[in-house]
Amino acid sequence: MIESIVVYGLAIGAVYALIGITYNVMFTASRVFSFTAGAVGMLGGVFGALFINRLGLPVVVGFVLSLAGGALVGVVTEVVTVRPVLKSLEQHLYVLSTLAFALLIQQFTAIMWSTEPQPFPRLLPFGPGLLDQQFWIPVLACVATLVGLELLYRRTLVGRAFMAISEDTYAARAIGLPEQGLRMTSFALAGAIGALAGFAGGEVLLAFFANEPMLNFYGFVPVALGGMGNNRGAVVGGFALGLFQQAANFLVGGIFASVAVFVVFIIVLLVRPEGLAGAAAGRRV
Amino acid sequence: MSVTRRHVLAGSAAGVATLASGLARPAIAASEPIKIGFLPALTGPGSSTGVAINRGTILAVDEINAAGGVNGRKIELITRDTQSDPTKAVNGATELTRRQKVHVVWGPLNSGEALAATPLIARDGIPQIDPCWVDTLTDVKKYPLAFRNAPTNHQIGAAANRYVTDVLKLKKIAVIGDTTGYGTASVETYVGMLKAQKDVSVVYQGDVDASNPDLKPELLRMRDAGADAIMPWSVNAGFLSRIINTRGDMGWDVPIVGQTTLGSGQTKALLSKPEYWNKVYQNNFLNCSYNSAGQLVPRAAAFVERLKKANIEMGDTLLWWIAIGYDTPHLIADAVKAAGSSPQDIAGYFNKLSKWPGAYADITWTPEEHNGFPDNEIVMCQANSLRDGAFNLAPGYGA
Repeated sequence: MIESIVVYGLAIGAVYALIGITYNVMFTASRVFSFTAGAVGMLGGVFGALFINRLGLPVVVGFVLSLAGGALVGVVTEVVTVRPVLKSLEQHLYVLSTLAFALLIQQFTAIMWSTEPQPFPRLLPFGPGLLDQQFWIPVLACVATLVGLELLYRRTLVGRAFMAISEDTYAARAIGLPEQGLRMTSFALAGAIGALAGFAGGEVLLAFFANEPMLNFYGFVPVALGGMGNNRGAVVGGFALGLFQQAANFLVGGIFASVAVFVVFIIVLLVRPEGLAGAAAGRRV
Repeated sequence: MSVTRRHVLAGSAAGVATLASGLARPAIAASEPIKIGFLPALTGPGSSTGVAINRGTILAVDEINAAGGVNGRKIELITRDTQSDPTKAVNGATELTRRQKVHVVWGPLNSGEALAATPLIARDGIPQIDPCWVDTLTDVKKYPLAFRNAPTNHQIGAAANRYVTDVLKLKKIAVIGDTTGYGTASVETYVGMLKAQKDVSVVYQGDVDASNPDLKPELLRMRDAGADAIMPWSVNAGFLSRIINTRGDMGWDVPIVGQTTLGSGQTKALLSKPEYWNKVYQNNFLNCSYNSAGQLVPRAAAFVERLKKANIEMGDTLLWWIAIGYDTPHLIADAVKAAGSSPQDIAGYFNKLSKWPGAYADITWTPEEHNGFPDNEIVMCQANSLRDGAFNLAPGYGA
């Protein structure tokens, strides 16, 4: 039982963590909390099954195209649902525009793809058992993404530009940073990461249009637990969520597992509203 | 008021017209087509059923018309695609009953649409036949002209329960459903039916979110409770395939017995290994099942030959869908032939129907019971045995 909790919990937790990072990357560049994170996650699985299973493309080509598809959806999200709202409104109405766009993607996928879950291809010839590829590929993808983003943000000029925009949009623009272009790039990056989550977790979650709300929901928890914009926190939160959820599946089972997860989530937020890994923001006076 | 020549002429013309229409009416009624309003979902997510039933329906109408119609009257099939949308089903039903003035409505073909459309069809006083499973769709008081020529959900669950407890002689049952309305209602109803049996115990009962990717904890709980059969109630192929895959990965050998989706192509596509489909038994119907010699009952075999002659595709669908589509126009034609085409004539005939021998089943209706499918023709089949739209009977029936 313990092995099953750990192996499965880490795998599903890695998918949640990647969706959490998707939220964060979009948030960092725009201060917009885009609910299309779950949609690109769902699309990662659908694109993988489409390119590899249905069109018969090699796994590597299918992988690259899936990420590119996710990036494209990220760019469209920025252009269609974020840019017009940020330009004209002070309110947080982007919540509605991104949520509407996510629903649009979900329904479009249901019509064009299928309302039934479809099989996701075996990516590598390893398995079965507790060390099956379906368990460690999401973990590997999550760790690689975290390390890659750390390097991007800390070691490259573009990454520092992302951080500058995140810290103070007006000041960044004042020193000549192309805010709009950087924001669009970060949405493309987030789209690719979201698609990676769905692709890496495809064998577990299948290519299913209804994964969108589930990923949106559970992917949000690591962000809240880890602190908005904090990728390390999202990874820790994602793994913690996956392990706790799987333990709850074993201990209480059925629908009560979800109840247990959200009871703990609410308690954590009551005790530490800034998240487990987040720091309380200083307020300028 | 003075009577002018114009008044006389107008009055005479009206009189002649009235007389003419009065005299002509019986002749028109005798030769006018019998209009069947048909409400299949030919597009959208629920269309696989509708497309197959449509094939059978069109074949039957063509056959009846080619043979000269019913008492010299042709059958006119007026089809409105509901697009798997209850709203469009309601619009279609209203158009058929009010504008097209159909004699009978055939459909809608799935429960969601039928729940929305049936009250309207009943209000317009048009006889209706539907093949949907939700129990509340027939009610002789609320919908006196609505008849069902398919089983109810209650009959489906009872048949599966009977197979597990009476045929397989298994007494410790695990019942699992998804958290949809269908899943939770089925679990609640069927568990109650199992518990009502003396020596049967439900050792596990649960509702699980269909999107839950790992069902191992649930199956471990079933195994630890000593279950010797799993009965899943869901139409979600992903949920069902996860149950089957988990059982296979655990090396657990208990039978899985339940709803028809267990034997669907979508479920098959999601299995980790083809052999995991062994010992999975789903609801099916006696006429559309192969016996141990691999043969259909003579009536169904003759029907299949007829389908082959007419080049009706069977490999991509289920035989019973085509069969029920084929039976219904014949049933309506028999009613009109024997009783007439008014709503009262048709409903009166239906209310006295006894073991009407269809390709799908022997249908019986009475004034008190509009659920016409016989219990003993609901059987379980081997999920991995699909051939030309029909399945092998599950072991134990001795047929």
